[in-house]
Amino acid sequence: MTDTYKDSLTAPNETPEEREYEFRAHIGAIWTGGRLAIGMATFLYASEAFAYFYLRTSNNSNLWRLPGQLAPLYYGWTVLICLLLMAGLANYGHRRLKKGYTNDFLVAGWTGVAAGLIALFFQIWELVVLPFYPGSSGYASTFIGFVVMNIMTIVFATYWMETTTTRAMRLRKELGGTNPELSSAYPARSFRANVASMSYYMGFVAIVSIMFFLMFYVA
Amino acid sequence: MNNGSEMRRIVTAWVIVSVIGDLLWWFLVGPHVPPGNMTTSAHWNQFDFNILAITALPVVFMVWIWLGYAVVKWRDKPGVPEPLGGEAAKASRGVQVGWITITSTVVIAAAIYGTVALIGDHGSGGGEGPNPVWAPPGAIAANTAALAGKATWSPTGNQPLVVQVIAQQWKFTYRYPAFGGMETDRLVLPVKTVVVFDVTSLDVIHDFWAYQLSVKADANPGVNNVAFANTQQTGQFMVRCDELCGIWHGAMYNSGRVLSKTAFMAWATKTEAQNAQNTAFLPPFAWTYTPDANGASGGLYPDGNVTPYSPYDVYGAKQPAS
Amino acid sequence: MTISAERPTEATAGTATPAGPRKGSSWTNRPGWMSQHLGTAIVLGFLGYLFGHWWGNYMASSYTYIANNGQNGVADFLGLLCMVIGWLLGIGALNYPILKLFGREPGEEAPAPGLSRYFRYTLDHKVVGMQYVVGVLLFLFTGGLLAMAIRTELLNPTVHIFNPGTYIEIVSEHGTIMMMMATSIVVGPLGNYLVPLMIGSRRMAFPRIEAFSFWIFSAGYLVIFSALFYGGFPTGWTGYAPLQNQAGPGMISYLFGFAVIGIGMMSAGFNILVTIVNYRAPGMTWSRVPMFVWSILATASLLTLATPVLFTAGLFGLLDHLVLTSFYVNEHGGSSYLWENLFWFFGHPEVYIMALPGFGIVAEIVPVFTRKPLFAYKVAAAGMMGVALLSFFVWQHHLFQSGINPDMRPLFMLTTELISIPTGFIYLVGMGSLYRGKMRLEVPMLFCLALYFNFLIGGITGVFLSDVPVNVTVHGSFFVLSHFHYTIMGGLVFAFMAGLYYWLPKMTGRMMNKKLGLWHFWTMFVFFNLTFFPMFIIGILGQPRRVFEYAHNLQGLNDFSSISAFCLGASFLLFFWNLMYSMIINPKKAPANPWESLGLEWQTANPVPLYNFERIPVIVTEPYRYSEPGAPAYADFGGGSAAGASTIGSSVQE
Repeated sequence: MTDTYKDSLTAPNETPEEREYEFRAHIGAIWTGGRLAIGMATFLYASEAFAYFYLRTSNNSNLWRLPGQLAPLYYGWTVLICLLLMAGLANYGHRRLKKGYTNDFLVAGWTGVAAGLIALFFQIWELVVLPFYPGSSGYASTFIGFVVMNIMTIVFATYWMETTTTRAMRLRKELGGTNPELSSAYPARSFRANVASMSYYMGFVAIVSIMFFLMFYVA
Repeated sequence: MNNGSEMRRIVTAWVIVSVIGDLLWWFLVGPHVPPGNMTTSAHWNQFDFNILAITALPVVFMVWIWLGYAVVKWRDKPGVPEPLGGEAAKASRGVQVGWITITSTVVIAAAIYGTVALIGDHGSGGGEGPNPVWAPPGAIAANTAALAGKATWSPTGNQPLVVQVIAQQWKFTYRYPAFGGMETDRLVLPVKTVVVFDVTSLDVIHDFWAYQLSVKADANPGVNNVAFANTQQTGQFMVRCDELCGIWHGAMYNSGRVLSKTAFMAWATKTEAQNAQNTAFLPPFAWTYTPDANGASGGLYPDGNVTPYSPYDVYGAKQPAS
Repeated sequence: MTISAERPTEATAGTATPAGPRKGSSWTNRPGWMSQHLGTAIVLGFLGYLFGHWWGNYMASSYTYIANNGQNGVADFLGLLCMVIGWLLGIGALNYPILKLFGREPGEEAPAPGLSRYFRYTLDHKVVGMQYVVGVLLFLFTGGLLAMAIRTELLNPTVHIFNPGTYIEIVSEHGTIMMMMATSIVVGPLGNYLVPLMIGSRRMAFPRIEAFSFWIFSAGYLVIFSALFYGGFPTGWTGYAPLQNQAGPGMISYLFGFAVIGIGMMSAGFNILVTIVNYRAPGMTWSRVPMFVWSILATASLLTLATPVLFTAGLFGLLDHLVLTSFYVNEHGGSSYLWENLFWFFGHPEVYIMALPGFGIVAEIVPVFTRKPLFAYKVAAAGMMGVALLSFFVWQHHLFQSGINPDMRPLFMLTTELISIPTGFIYLVGMGSLYRGKMRLEVPMLFCLALYFNFLIGGITGVFLSDVPVNVTVHGSFFVLSHFHYTIMGGLVFAFMAGLYYWLPKMTGRMMNKKLGLWHFWTMFVFFNLTFFPMFIIGILGQPRRVFEYAHNLQGLNDFSSISAFCLGASFLLFFWNLMYSMIINPKKAPANPWESLGLEWQTANPVPLYNFERIPVIVTEPYRYSEPGAPAYADFGGGSAAGASTIGSSVQE
């Protein structure tokens, strides 16, 4: 293979205009990427919902759901409330950040992370206290599938929230000054775009949690 | 050579080749295309195949002739004019609209024709699931009667014959509810009769493919998949499993026969008597069978209300009270 | 006004304070062989496997679920899971996500010099592209060898070389490996390497996700290959459910392998889609995007949206195996149709994931060799997007005989046949581009013509299959098998070969030998057709797929097909020899633009510099303006003059 690096390692000779152009592409990528992540997660959850309704309507061997079979309701509530809290805090933090209250963003971020961790704990622990066997009915199976999927979503959402929050703290250290998160420096702009995408994604998580809560714990 | 005469040449060659190709197909190949004429679906499926073939051949020839002409004539060699450039080469509204119109017409016509053929031929021998939507007259009634234990068939009447195909790893067996619910390992059918196949499986997904009858239906465990055939000729046919069902899938085949009505009646009454002892041990005729813990066909899980099924017995007291 | 300027962003435009590439943290960035590379990945992957296996046995030692087998499925699964994690840790794919958790963010790392960078986790899309070339060829040759084994078994209807268990293992492994390979065969190597070059970008949007996609793709190879050591799986690549539940531990490799590859597909598609949308050079409006990029865009959208469904299906299967849920078990409230629906809802877009890049390659290459503009550019783009969109609405045509939804059959017959309209666009474009051109029959062009030839047969037989009455006879037979080999191999693999012959001079700076290339082409083309055309006849004469025994009267055709298949295999050896010979043994330096293409990827320096373009090019006109003497060049590179830079500058100001 020819060595493509020989002369180009040092400098791409970017002009400021080019840098700005690429940077805008980068911001656009965060915007598109966040929405696309929602699209992917939608298909993921849609296939789970499809399984739920498919098994429910086909009710094979009359075993869609045993009489009285219900996942632990209080665990469900806890996870739901934590996730809603997390989504709310993400949105709140984002709005406060836009208004310039960066400390509020940090507090909201860390609280949201804590809520996410609590949700994660209860979501996992719920599997331990299940009052039914995984294979006892279609409902039981789809519930287990949903829990596993939800664990992945919570991990991802909490991770995203945590990294944006730590990123805000790093920005303060790196850039210095008052409210460096709101400056026009590249890292700060990229950070704000990221927060926007994150809070959007959290909105999606909230909607999905409510929908699936209704499906599994209410309906 | 100018543009017009070039196109004329290509089109002429295409028309000639297409007409010859289609005629050859229709008269030489077509009559031999499987699955033949053993049932009405076989006949119509063969006809459909040939219709599609004579539609497809001109398309294939068009592209091939165009490719061939391009390779020979529009090629980088001395004496060939400079390639077409500019707007004319980028797009041509007429050609584009024409192409889209023609392909859309052909495709939609094919879909409409397929639908008509499918419905007119009562599902064309394909498995239509537990509640068939396109059934020959009388077939559904006969099938319902079979479940109620009232299936009959006689060589003189014109009733449909209900046959259940039970697939398991790795063989097919057949139940005849009209003959006491006997189960055989050989599929024998009367000629000039509407046959209702109730296809099901005891374990994994198989596929009942009676090749010459042009019947193909997946055998799903716990599902009754109904297909119809109207036998027209006597003779032998092949039955194969057409869905991968495990290691001996390749060896899951046998053959069947279409007999004259009287010969079939003789075979059926004889076999019914021969098998009577075994038949007594079989579960009552049902759409599906689920082997329980006592072994294959030893008991039934509920499909309807044959045996009440209590999950509490299976899963113990851990269930919350309802 | 440029694309990025239209995008709503949080960022307020202001005086830019460029932050130069930051120094990466030291331990992720050690030079030479002391840092993370393939070797550490192998070691950690191996250790991970051992650990996971021990862990599974420790946790669930009494849990020997898998039927007819003393194996502990949990241990098998955890072994594979920890192997993948170890592999990713070892290669360094997880460094960044972990550091990020602690608020650190390594900047762009200085790439390792020389050959060693091909064995690393790297952020350069060109290196990832080359890694993918090797990766997909490994997949392709493994699957190809298995195909040879299948054809050997089918030489005789009753005398067997393998026992039925081994045979079905080979068939399943062949199908699965090839399907996984085919999802990435173009998007991986050519898509990753060429898309930024073609859209005039210096980088990918998410280079880490891109590199991750390759390394998890290679981990997927290990996982699916491990099935052979677990006794294989008997279900074919479709993995139908009750049989899947019945199968041994090899099934876990299949399910987990598909989930792993699925993650790779999603991440590859995600990165490429975002890149194409956002990183196009100024002036590259949607009507100036090269056709290859259009096809990759369509493919990437299928990859990102359809693959999550596969992931879910695999997850449910794994849960059925490991924690005894009953998703696919009718007797316990599940449904075997659930798998069929989920699998094919992914499976049909997957088919177009395999077809579309091939269309893109030919549409890109044909104008170069006919020296003509691409005919009906907009129709071509519409065709690709139309195929992508329609492919979500056709999945039940795989289930015409399965007994579900008979009343929906006319609808799915209609949607399936409708898909041949946008596919037909590709032919309109191809045939129109040949019209009164001046064709240069170089090796890549021959492969393109072969695609038109083969895919025509594959596509037309697809119409037969979509017709429900005819489907009764041909469903599940060798007819189908031949049909999809004509589309995937005759289409995609031929296009991939065209792409390799065409772009390898750019990617490696070395020309492929033309004489060997011609030999390779003709043997591959002839024997491909001799192998697979008889299978149509075998199919309508009644031979089902995946059987090891067949009717005696079909032996002649099967033998003919088998012997042709061996010759086809030999033609791949010719290709391999050509690759070795032209790239390593006797390399010939390629000219900067050997095919006299106007494409942007040929306009950069050769070898391509790290940041691709000296100046970000400004696209001034539509592509493929061949044989148009007065036409402006496709792109303005600035060349130090103020023109290019000022265009970028003005676009930023808007």
